[in-house]
Amino acid sequence: MEPIRYVEALNNKIGAMGFSPYQWSENDTAHWTALEKPLSARTVAILVSGGISHCAAVPFNPDARNDHRVDAIDPGAPSDQYQIHDSYYDHADADRDLNCIFPVDRLTVLAAGGEIGAVAARHWSGFMGRTYNRSKVMNESGPAFVEQLKADGVDLLVAIPA
Amino acid sequence: MGLVARVVEDMGIPTVTVSTGRDIIALVRPPRSLFVNHPMGNTFGRAGDRALQKEILRAALDLAVTATEPGVLVDLPYRWDEDFVFFTGEATAEARERQLKK
Repeated sequence: MEPIRYVEALNNKIGAMGFSPYQWSENDTAHWTALEKPLSARTVAILVSGGISHCAAVPFNPDARNDHRVDAIDPGAPSDQYQIHDSYYDHADADRDLNCIFPVDRLTVLAAGGEIGAVAARHWSGFMGRTYNRSKVMNESGPAFVEQLKADGVDLLVAIPA
Repeated sequence: MGLVARVVEDMGIPTVTVSTGRDIIALVRPPRSLFVNHPMGNTFGRAGDRALQKEILRAALDLAVTATEPGVLVDLPYRWDEDFVFFTGEATAEARERQLKK
């Protein structure tokens, strides 16, 4: 099947919820960091935006807008101790197996097999909101997040939007 | 999320974005993207399908070291075994039927 046209569908959904129209980012070029380092020597972290929080933490707001919250996720914690609150996708499968959307256990297996150097000390869940105040991502919440990655020596981030 | 990936990359850490929304990543253009034509929420496959989850994750890791062009968007060949629609919150058979008729 053809890929779903999410831009159009989300615009309609956001409008139906009574929110103002979403202005999508459009970029012709991308930033680039060249790193001559094999996977087997890299420390890898995962960031997911699907409203995933530890059961002991406050749940994410499933209809959030402008939510810059990002939680650290312990890669050693059992993946069945998380909850998902996000009204923008069907997480029935992910409720049963977090790895459908946030493949933390699979990354641990790849690390054990030597395919990557190491799993980072922390994974991340956040930046889920329909973000209207994008300059805040670029100037505040984004850079603050990068400092956390640097503190953990991360040299590859796998980013998973949901 | 694509925007966050751009900030992370700009500050010196390589990124790979794995997305089920092809039109969104084509617009936002994170540094390196993989598109998987799966329902949103099943980027890496179905619950319990460890083999596929691992395969897609491995493809993402590989792109980190093989990509040479900023803004690259790679289409993975996996197909979902049934048609799916945009999630509206009413994941019923009737809702699916209605959308597929449009």
